Amino acid sequence: MTVADFQALSPLLVLAGGATVLMLQIAFVRSVSLTAALTVLTMALAALSCVHAAQIAPLQVTPLLQADSFALLFCVLFCIGGAATALLSQDYIRHHGDEPEEYFLLLMLSTLGACVLAYAVHVASLLLGLELLSVSLYALIAYPNKSILPLEAAAKYLVLSGAASATALFGFALLYAATGTLEFTALGQQLDNTQMGQSVLLVGAAMVFTGLGFKLSLVPFHLWTPDVYDGAPAPITGFLASVAKAAVFVALLRLFLDADLFRYRILVEITGFLAILSMLAGNLLALLQTNIKRMLAYSSIAHIGYLMIIFMACITSDNRNLASEAAAYYLVAYTATTIAAFGLLTLICAHQVERENVELHHISGLFWRQPLLGGLMLVAMLSLAGIPLTAGFVAKFYIFNAAVSGHNWVLLATLILGSGIGIYYYLRVVYYMTRRLEQHHVQPTVVVSWHAKALSCILIAGILLLGTMPQSLMAYLRSIL
Amino acid sequence: MGGLQIPLEHVLLLAATLFSCGLMGLMLRRNIIFMLMSLEVMLNAAALAFVAAGARWQQADGQIIFLLILSVAAAEVAVGLGLVLQIQRRFKTLDMDQVNRLRG
Repeated sequence: MTVADFQALSPLLVLAGGATVLMLQIAFVRSVSLTAALTVLTMALAALSCVHAAQIAPLQVTPLLQADSFALLFCVLFCIGGAATALLSQDYIRHHGDEPEEYFLLLMLSTLGACVLAYAVHVASLLLGLELLSVSLYALIAYPNKSILPLEAAAKYLVLSGAASATALFGFALLYAATGTLEFTALGQQLDNTQMGQSVLLVGAAMVFTGLGFKLSLVPFHLWTPDVYDGAPAPITGFLASVAKAAVFVALLRLFLDADLFRYRILVEITGFLAILSMLAGNLLALLQTNIKRMLAYSSIAHIGYLMIIFMACITSDNRNLASEAAAYYLVAYTATTIAAFGLLTLICAHQVERENVELHHISGLFWRQPLLGGLMLVAMLSLAGIPLTAGFVAKFYIFNAAVSGHNWVLLATLILGSGIGIYYYLRVVYYMTRRLEQHHVQPTVVVSWHAKALSCILIAGILLLGTMPQSLMAYLRSIL
Repeated sequence: MGGLQIPLEHVLLLAATLFSCGLMGLMLRRNIIFMLMSLEVMLNAAALAFVAAGARWQQADGQIIFLLILSVAAAEVAVGLGLVLQIQRRFKTLDMDQVNRLRG
């Protein structure tokens, strides 16, 4: 390996080195604040090293990893997401776990897995990234040992996510048997001149899609989502909904683009069909929830449905750059918004040991009691609903644009319908927050530490900036694709 | 290469059968230990298919993926057994239906 190779991989190396340092630090001194500080520092360093690595991108390092600007952009996103989760978790995990230090170690490993997924151009690296991400998540979900719901959520997630990995792997094995290569690009070239029947290839590709669709919680593979989101600790739910899903989506998109699986028309049409189902089911089921975590779980199903429109829009090859641009913008906006929404839930739950869920009436009048937290939730909800001046609006407009130029009218109609339904349940949260409280119905005030306050301000500013001045990110995305 | 050659299709068929057995076990069994075992069967079925495919192309890649799957499955089961211990201690049962507190 040359110096340039190391430079291209520096984000991964920094995260892996940071995890080792963290392990040693925990072995010698147990201190939550020190561990959290080290975690945030390492992730910031990893994000900075992406900028350094971008100078030599694109560069393929070994057949396994491809360091291009697309991968590096998502590495930065995942590191920032991981750092935000670590900052938010500090108070929460102190009250919910007996020995909270290893929590940060697992979070770091999980972020490393997400970054490996962003780099992956080979089945082996995809497998390792995916499992590094998921196995650390099982432990993270089960981490709070003072209540029993996380345990159940972790057991469910482990069984279903393991089955999903096995399905995806079996699909890859079939593709390998037919083509004799595990690299995505070579796989795509070999698909046409294979002696095995087309049906084997199609079954293989469909199994890969099913396995990854499980992780993305597409309808009809979504049944685990509300239970796991409900039972998992709030900061981890945020991480699961944003970084873990974005990482799997990036890997899936790269597989489809590199191997050109869009040539299987029927497969892409199935993705479009699942997108419609996800948008409708996610939005309609979210209407019925009073538990905010479950509502956000269903809303995340709907948002993945919006994202899957990208796959249909990619069918015509000249539309692909616009579609990947839209996907990248959407993922950035969605990650920021989701972390903001679950961040608020984390801050509310931080001092309640027994209870994991937040009902709608728990936040009533929040806007008047704690304007900063209310503002954070307000911005997050408006952005999820896709109201102008927030990141969610520009992101949805991008998807809209991609669908229009791909002539996907049915998907477009469902997108509009879904967004319409979405506005109702997002604004219901805002309505509860702005209610004036009767005197006898006082909720306890939430104590918020200074770093959580700072992070809330940054998230609000970030979401509004992405919504009002999207030009620089758009120009950057256009330059790298 | 002398001796008996096993056609690729036969191995893939065996792997597919094992995979379906694992999937059925995962869906029908309620005991978490048996669910973890079924998961293992599914992962190993995928690994077997990789080895057979690697043999067809005379490449080591299939066996390398087999080793990776083996270690990944070990990591997964390690976390899984940790959860099993906790579930047994908290709920005094390993039946997932009785553990179910989250509706849905």
